[in-house]
Amino acid sequence: MNQATPIDLAMRSAARQTFENMAFTGVLEHYNQDYEIPVSELIWASILIQDPVPGELRLAMPAPVLKTLTSAILGQADSEINQRQMNDVLFELLNTLAGLFITKLLREEQIFKLGLPEAGEGPLPELEEHAIVWKLMTLEEDPLQLIACGAPLMNLNK
Amino acid sequence: MTRIIIADDSATARMFIKRCLEIIGLEDAETVEAEDGREALAAAKEQPPDLFLVDLNMPVMDGETLLKWVKASPKLCDLPVIFITSAGNPAKEAQLLEMGARCVISKPVSPPVLMKALADFLEA
Repeated sequence: MNQATPIDLAMRSAARQTFENMAFTGVLEHYNQDYEIPVSELIWASILIQDPVPGELRLAMPAPVLKTLTSAILGQADSEINQRQMNDVLFELLNTLAGLFITKLLREEQIFKLGLPEAGEGPLPELEEHAIVWKLMTLEEDPLQLIACGAPLMNLNK
Repeated sequence: MTRIIIADDSATARMFIKRCLEIIGLEDAETVEAEDGREALAAAKEQPPDLFLVDLNMPVMDGETLLKWVKASPKLCDLPVIFITSAGNPAKEAQLLEMGARCVISKPVSPPVLMKALADFLEA
């Protein structure tokens, strides 16, 4: 479990707000912090924080969970959901979450710039030394994983 | 009929905005979807909208550049441009208002917030 640092508080609040408003579900700490999303099911995206504190955020989840979330968000049956819609929902969730996260973290007078979300391929990249991982789950106990990395961003925790 | 251009590279975001418009009573509005600022500008030049709802962060042409083009166009400069963005904070909001944006809404957008932002527009 992560400590209640500025980054941790900002991330948890941003994740809660994003999933409640967009996916109509809450987000909790995963009950099993040793749980790893099987690579065969893993789907993830990343977004760069470009200014004023370079860093990267990643959002990962099993593909079936993303399909369920996409179905709930778009109001369509699971069987009608395609990969493009799933990617778009993943990107928009991450984009919204990143904006909320950085807004909560920085002072109000600081302008920030985000990159565009990009789809990740294969397993998640190896974590750098100071990266923070949040193992979360939805109210339906579907696993989600959030990662923040980048030394300048991590320095905001000091 | 009210014509609204929604410029956002995310189809999910455009869907959310359209849903919010329906909820706040603009279900009969003609909505034109654009994936970036350039598409939005082309649509506006073809037929000016009554309102732009614009994301800030888009490929090809971002929302800020779109705003500059709109404000520079004699045909479009008086049209309201509302930003709906994940990259909005008070500092960015002040900058966009200074550039001529009507207002800035943070994502995730909700019907009450959009309704408040469009209050003048809805009353007109």
